[in-house]
Amino acid sequence: MSLVNCKGLSKSYGDKKALSQVDITLNAGSPIALVGPNGAGKTTLFSLLCGYITPSSGEVSLLGHKPGSAELLGRIASLPQDASLDPNLDVLTQLTFFGTLQGYNRKNAQAEAIRVLNLVDLADSAKQKPRALSHGMAKRVAIAQALMGSPELVLLDEPTAGLDPANAKKIRELVKSLAGTTTFIISSHNLDELEKLCDQVLYLEHGQLRQSVSMAESQHDDYITLTMQGCESTSLIEAVLKLADISSIEERQANQFLIKHNSAESYAIEISLLTLFKERNWQYKAILKGRTLEEKLFS
Amino acid sequence: MEHTPQKTAPKNSMPRNTLLLAQFEVKKMLFNPRGLVALAAFALVWLLILLYPISSASSFLINPDFRGIIEGIFGPDAVSELFKWPVAELAVYWIAALYIFPLFSIFVSADQFATDKSRGTFRFLTLRVGRDSLFFGRFLGHIALQSILVCLTVIATILLAANRDMSLLLPALISGLIVTLNLIIVLLPYTALMAILSLYASSARQATIYAILVWAAMSISIAIINNYLPIISELKWILPGSQISLMINTQGLQTFMYAPVALVQAGILLFLGKVYINRSAL
Repeated sequence: MSLVNCKGLSKSYGDKKALSQVDITLNAGSPIALVGPNGAGKTTLFSLLCGYITPSSGEVSLLGHKPGSAELLGRIASLPQDASLDPNLDVLTQLTFFGTLQGYNRKNAQAEAIRVLNLVDLADSAKQKPRALSHGMAKRVAIAQALMGSPELVLLDEPTAGLDPANAKKIRELVKSLAGTTTFIISSHNLDELEKLCDQVLYLEHGQLRQSVSMAESQHDDYITLTMQGCESTSLIEAVLKLADISSIEERQANQFLIKHNSAESYAIEISLLTLFKERNWQYKAILKGRTLEEKLFS
Repeated sequence: MEHTPQKTAPKNSMPRNTLLLAQFEVKKMLFNPRGLVALAAFALVWLLILLYPISSASSFLINPDFRGIIEGIFGPDAVSELFKWPVAELAVYWIAALYIFPLFSIFVSADQFATDKSRGTFRFLTLRVGRDSLFFGRFLGHIALQSILVCLTVIATILLAANRDMSLLLPALISGLIVTLNLIIVLLPYTALMAILSLYASSARQATIYAILVWAAMSISIAIINNYLPIISELKWILPGSQISLMINTQGLQTFMYAPVALVQAGILLFLGKVYINRSAL
C-alpha cells in the first residue's frame, strides 16, 4: 500500500487556486522533500494531507485512509506552520496530555514527552511555558511533539527555518537517524539541506506539481559540478574543453562550473581534471558527481 | 536510542479521549490566569447575592412589599409558586440563578474553541483525537465546570438556610438537588450554542458578541412573527432560555416541566456543532 496517494487533488480559496490537479504517489522509505517558491501550495498540500482542510476536488489518502479518519490517529504527525501551543500551560503538561490522547497512561505519556524533548535537546525546558521559549526553541518543541509515539509518517513544514546552524544540523541528524522507522515529508527552502536528507524531491509551482526528481538518479547523470577555490574562469573553461569526452562546460555561479561529458569510463574525467589542476596549480573546492538539486530544479 | 514507553490503552478510543479532553479543559480553566479572573468575578457576584438577598430571603418573602415588587416585574400569579418553596433562601436563589447562570455561561463558554482555533493549537490535537471527541470533550468540560460552580453556590445557599434554622437542612438538601439538576439542564443549550459560535468566531470576545446578536435578532424576529403570524407562536421554543421566565413560577418536581425544551434544544445544537466541526478548517 502506498503511503500517500493524491489523485487530481485541488484546493481553491475563493477564486485563487492554491493547488491544482496534483497527482502524487509516495511510498514509505527515505525522507521526501517538497520544494517550491512562496505561495506554491506546499503548506496547503500539507494541510490537506493532515486533514486540517478538505480538498475542493480530487482525492487524497494516507496509508489507504482518508485524512482525519480514526484509523490514522496517532500514526501520522506533523509540524504545522503557524501553530503554537497553549501559552498558559508548561511544555511538559501539554506534551504529556498529547501522549495520553495517543493511548499512553499518564506515567508513560510523561516518559514519552521527556524522551522526545531529549531528542531535540530541550528536556531542561520541559517545565517552561511556551512564551518563555525563543522562536527556535518553540520550533524544536513542535518538532518533538511530532515524534511522540513514533508515528509512521511525519510531515515537517519548514523544520529548520529560524533555527541556528547548530540546531538545524541536529534536526537533520535526528531526521536521518529516525528515517528507518518513520517516513518524513519535509518542506523547506534550503536545497542543500534537502539534498543531504532526501531521496525524492517534489517540486510545486503555482499549485501544480512540476517535477518529481529522484536523488539516486542524479548519480547516473553525465554531469560533474566543479567548484573552484578561485581561478581564471576563461582559462579553466578553455582548458577543460580540450580534455577528452567533454561535451560542454558552463560557469553557473561564481567559481562553480557544470561539466557535461560522455565518458563511459569511471573516474576518467575526474582524474584528468585533477591532473589538469596539478599542472596549472589551480585549487579546487569540490568535485560533485551529478548536478546540485538547485541545478536540477531550476536549469 | 532510548527505550520507548509502551502504550497501555487501546488506540483511538473515542469515549476515553472525550473524557480526557473534558478533564483537561476543567483543569485548564481552573489553573490559568484568565480562568481565575473569571472565577473571581463570579465569586464576588455570588458573594453579594448570597450576603444580601439570599441571606435575608425569609424576611423578604414574608414582606408584602417585596411580593409586590416581584409581582410587578413578572406579573400577578406569575410567581405564586415561588412563595411555596419550603426554603425561602432557595426560592430567591432560584430566581437569581435562573437569570445569572445562563448569562455567565455565555461568557465562560465563549472560548471553547475560538482562541485555540486561531492559534492553531487544534492542529496538534486533530492528528491524535477525532473531531467528534474534540467537540464533545470541550463541551463536556465546560458543562462540568459550570456544574461545579452551580453546586458551590447551591451548597452555600443550603448552609445559609441551615444556619438560620437547622430543621431546614433536609428540605434544603432536597430542593438544592432539584435546583442543581434543573440549572445544569438549563445551561446545556447555552453551552452548546456557545460551542458553535466559538467555532465560528476567532476570539472569545467575538463569540460573545455573536451570542448577543443571535439572542437579540432571534428575540426580535420571534416577537415580529408572533405579532403577525400567531399561529406559529411556538417558534419561540427554538431560542435557548425561552422557558426561563416560565420556570420562575415552578416549584419542587414541577420545575422539571420545562426540562425537555432545554434538552431538545441542546440535542439539536450539539448535532449541528458536530456537523460543523467536521466540515470546518482547523
